[in-house]
Amino acid sequence: MSAGSGEVMLALEDVSLSYQSRRKSFDHGSHHVLDRVSLKLYEGETLGIIGRNGVGKSTTLRLMAGILAPTSGKVRQRPGKTSSLLTIGLGFRPDLSGRDNAMLAAMLQGATAKQARGYLEEIKEFSELGDSFEERVKTYSSGMMSRLGFTTALKTHVDILLIDEVLSVGDARFREKAEAAMKSRISGDQTVVFVSHMEAQIREICNRAVCLHEGAILAEGDPRDVLAAYREVCY
Amino acid sequence: MARMALRADAAKYFLGYIWWILEPLLFVGVFYVVFDVILDSGRADFLVFLMCGKLAFIWFSKSVNQASNSIAANKGLIGRINVTKTLFPLAVIQEGVYRQLAVFLLLFCFLYFRGYAPHLAWLYLLPVMAVNYLMIVACSYVGACLVCIVRDFSMIISLSMTFLMFTSGVFWDVRALGDPHKTELVLALNPLAFILDAYRQVLLHSTAPDWIHLMQIACGSIVLLVIVVVIMRRSSQYLALRALS
Repeated sequence: MSAGSGEVMLALEDVSLSYQSRRKSFDHGSHHVLDRVSLKLYEGETLGIIGRNGVGKSTTLRLMAGILAPTSGKVRQRPGKTSSLLTIGLGFRPDLSGRDNAMLAAMLQGATAKQARGYLEEIKEFSELGDSFEERVKTYSSGMMSRLGFTTALKTHVDILLIDEVLSVGDARFREKAEAAMKSRISGDQTVVFVSHMEAQIREICNRAVCLHEGAILAEGDPRDVLAAYREVCY
Repeated sequence: MARMALRADAAKYFLGYIWWILEPLLFVGVFYVVFDVILDSGRADFLVFLMCGKLAFIWFSKSVNQASNSIAANKGLIGRINVTKTLFPLAVIQEGVYRQLAVFLLLFCFLYFRGYAPHLAWLYLLPVMAVNYLMIVACSYVGACLVCIVRDFSMIISLSMTFLMFTSGVFWDVRALGDPHKTELVLALNPLAFILDAYRQVLLHSTAPDWIHLMQIACGSIVLLVIVVVIMRRSSQYLALRALS
């Protein structure tokens, strides 16, 4: 694999994550999302994560982003590297305008106020929201919302990009544009972890893939092999 | 970063900004009707007395109530970014500060028209407000963590605010209890009663608050605040997990 040559950017070592579920009487309260998962991410590679709903894909990304801490095991990140998780939909403040939301998102991802303001015009242009950019997000359609989320994510720079399903939304034309933009960014030395349900995207974009099943790694390696394993558990 | 969130929140409420003043006034109006017109409080200055206490109380109760729910309410953002969880209650509290500035301004105008001319002693309000603010921040942070961990605390906190309203001398005077020991007991046990009384002492009687007592409340709030902030920083990811699950 061409991507294995770089240094390790981020490693999950024997990571488990479980939480107390609210309905204690059902399953003794403990819900295991991930069970002893070990995974390495190398510099410059694009790692795809695939798996059925609820197998812990998003949780894995959240662990990588440092949003959650593992119940046991370790998450090691190369010192001084920033990572950012991009998801669609959630996280907007409906009472604020698209502009304010983009500003807020950029700043929460570590940009200064000045930098964030610099991104705004680019974001407005790429997202093609036009005048709606100044209107409250409450009035947006879900497609508009995803455009704003994707563009905001695209325009802010981080060392490790963690992408959760952002390419599977929007109308066909915008999706093409978004995919092209994402590919040009990925083909550089950007390190990316990419979660998707769309097999074609994983096959085209990623140089390595992992299939998660029931909280554990089912297959890892060349995307084509991994996708074959994924299809087996699916059907 | 925090400032941006604050500006954002202020913007959010800008449209409904007439409510900043209307809502507390409606509360004062209802209390006035019940306790003076119907129950006959027997005080000539009941309305100003009530306003000094009630308007300061609403600042506390509303801020703590809303801030307590803020971490749990922002789980969308929390699931995306690893941010200090103090950001969310602080944003709500700052929003409340802007609101309260307008309300206090109204209170001062009202006092002026009722013949309480602004006095140099009103400057004593600044430390009283500062301590009031510290109490709000400390209680909000504690509340926000508790609600994030177990949502039921949200109910407990809003109930506590109702209980506090009855026990803090909002519509009755701690100094008119007859038994001075009882007054002292209430003031010692309930910091909020002390703060509300301090507002009245300054505004209506141009008297300085009990500095030692005020300092004690300030120190207590700061200690609590430091402990909570340390806990919140250390368990940021635990709080995220609780908010998300």
